Amino acid sequence: MSRSRTEGLLPPGDYYLSGNEAAAEGALAVGCDFYAGYPITPSSEIMERMAWRLPEVGGTFVQMEDEIGSLCAVIGAAWAGAKAMTATSGPGFSLMMEPLGYAVMTETPLVIMDVQRAGPCTGQATRVGAGDIMQARWGAHGDYQIIALSPWSVQEMFDMAVQAFNLAERFRVPVVLLAEEAVGHLRERITLPSEVTVIQRDRDKTRPPFGSEEPDGVPPMPAFGDGADLLVTGSTHDEWGFRKTEDPEVQRRLVTRLSRKILDHRAEICSVETYCMEDAQVMVVAYGFTARSALHAVRHLRGEGLEVGMMRLRTLWPFPEEAVARMGEGRARVLVPEMNLGQIQGEVQKAVDCPVEAYHQVNGEVIPPSVLLKWIRERSL
Amino acid sequence: MKERIEIRLCGFGGQGIVLMGLVLGEAAVRDGLWAAGSNSYGAQARGSACQSEVVLSRAPVDYPRVLAPDLLVALSQEAYERYVIDLQKEGVAVYDAGLVKPRGGLPQPHIPVDATRTAVEGLSQKQVANMVMLAAVAALTGIVSQKALLGAALDAVPARLREINQRALEAGFRLGESAREGLSYPLPDWTLCEASARADA
Repeated sequence: MSRSRTEGLLPPGDYYLSGNEAAAEGALAVGCDFYAGYPITPSSEIMERMAWRLPEVGGTFVQMEDEIGSLCAVIGAAWAGAKAMTATSGPGFSLMMEPLGYAVMTETPLVIMDVQRAGPCTGQATRVGAGDIMQARWGAHGDYQIIALSPWSVQEMFDMAVQAFNLAERFRVPVVLLAEEAVGHLRERITLPSEVTVIQRDRDKTRPPFGSEEPDGVPPMPAFGDGADLLVTGSTHDEWGFRKTEDPEVQRRLVTRLSRKILDHRAEICSVETYCMEDAQVMVVAYGFTARSALHAVRHLRGEGLEVGMMRLRTLWPFPEEAVARMGEGRARVLVPEMNLGQIQGEVQKAVDCPVEAYHQVNGEVIPPSVLLKWIRERSL
Repeated sequence: MKERIEIRLCGFGGQGIVLMGLVLGEAAVRDGLWAAGSNSYGAQARGSACQSEVVLSRAPVDYPRVLAPDLLVALSQEAYERYVIDLQKEGVAVYDAGLVKPRGGLPQPHIPVDATRTAVEGLSQKQVANMVMLAAVAALTGIVSQKALLGAALDAVPARLREINQRALEAGFRLGESAREGLSYPLPDWTLCEASARADA
């Protein structure tokens, strides 16, 4: 289904927006009608924009007492039928880990925009980092899969906000837009389309809402008020939501399905982009803002005649290991620059046979192209 | 022909440096260009060397931040001193004639614009010095059209401040045009080509 622009949405055309503003507009375009949050640098512009834009499109905005309450309110709104989201940064994301686990276990579709800053803890509020990659993957306890996207431009803050809601609705899973301060605060030309693709959750109330017999692992999700007898619990539950906290088979089936419904659809979820890869001996694997620096460096090195290319990860979780493995085949070397101490590097190494080298920078600043130019050149001659 | 033009605007926090960047980028988009901008944030934006940078291109830019500016626009001495060292060898510096004393011996042309004095004496409103300067830069260099800049600036300010900003921009255009006419040397060729980074099919 596609949604034409309706009242309250910005008319299609070219704009000069910040990443955070674009993310808010993307959420509105795909039909987000509930926001609960607590402001935190460098994500606050998302909340600020939602505070005045949601009432314009007939939605609801709530400022909560903290980030735990924020995500709990988002979960409640989703079960009332809303397309709900919150936005935060590292310290708030940490607080959200408890309700995030609840959202995973109750299969609640929602979107969290984490505009990453330099951590750990309160770290450097206004500075950039990409240190929440593994937290997005493993932050809540227990075995589960989650979806996380990595935007590198203002356009993608809009496009991936749309995609995040669609993936959440499609797979009944929390989706994290893992942005970085440098993209959230970047201003760029962005083209707003006249319509966007919209996926709505299946609200059939005749089938069990937690059924493990669904062919693709994603059961329907009626809302409170739809007339279904709904039981929603974070404890282990059977297909109708009844607590089964001592039944090994129910536990096994539920936990297995929570992972399988994502992993079995990796081809549908995962997305990568490649540049200059055709005859490349050296493959740079990058994501987020760092990929902007890496692309600049790779294009320059191509001009010097070096056989260098780049793969950009648009999806971080589930990790696009098949694409990385296929593209990495036969390369002499794979290079992974990151604004952390090596979080995606290990995933890349698992996927390829050749040596992987990493460049880590955790000084609260973006990695400049000049640094990558030198680092890649030294490894490409 | 260049793939990108890089502009760094700088001054004291409070002079409206961040707004200048926003208006310049918006004007460029209205001219059909690609623009990317970043600026000082938080306490930096209120400090003594606030900066806002814009990259212009005819196609999507790969790296969206300034590498070595083609154009430095300085509205305070401290910011000028801090940022002039990054200016490209073939670059140009434009500075507020009343607030900045340029270093001697630099290879790049330095062009004075009396932006703050014009705002204070001609318009009785010091706060619009930023718009006087931005308009002067547009008229001097032609990086964005005067029409697009006027539209972008007037849409960026509250209705009650449109008239004073319009007068500031018009004064700035005149300053920029006369500065251009007074130059004894040609400005660099800042024509943009359409090269861009394309993903593999």
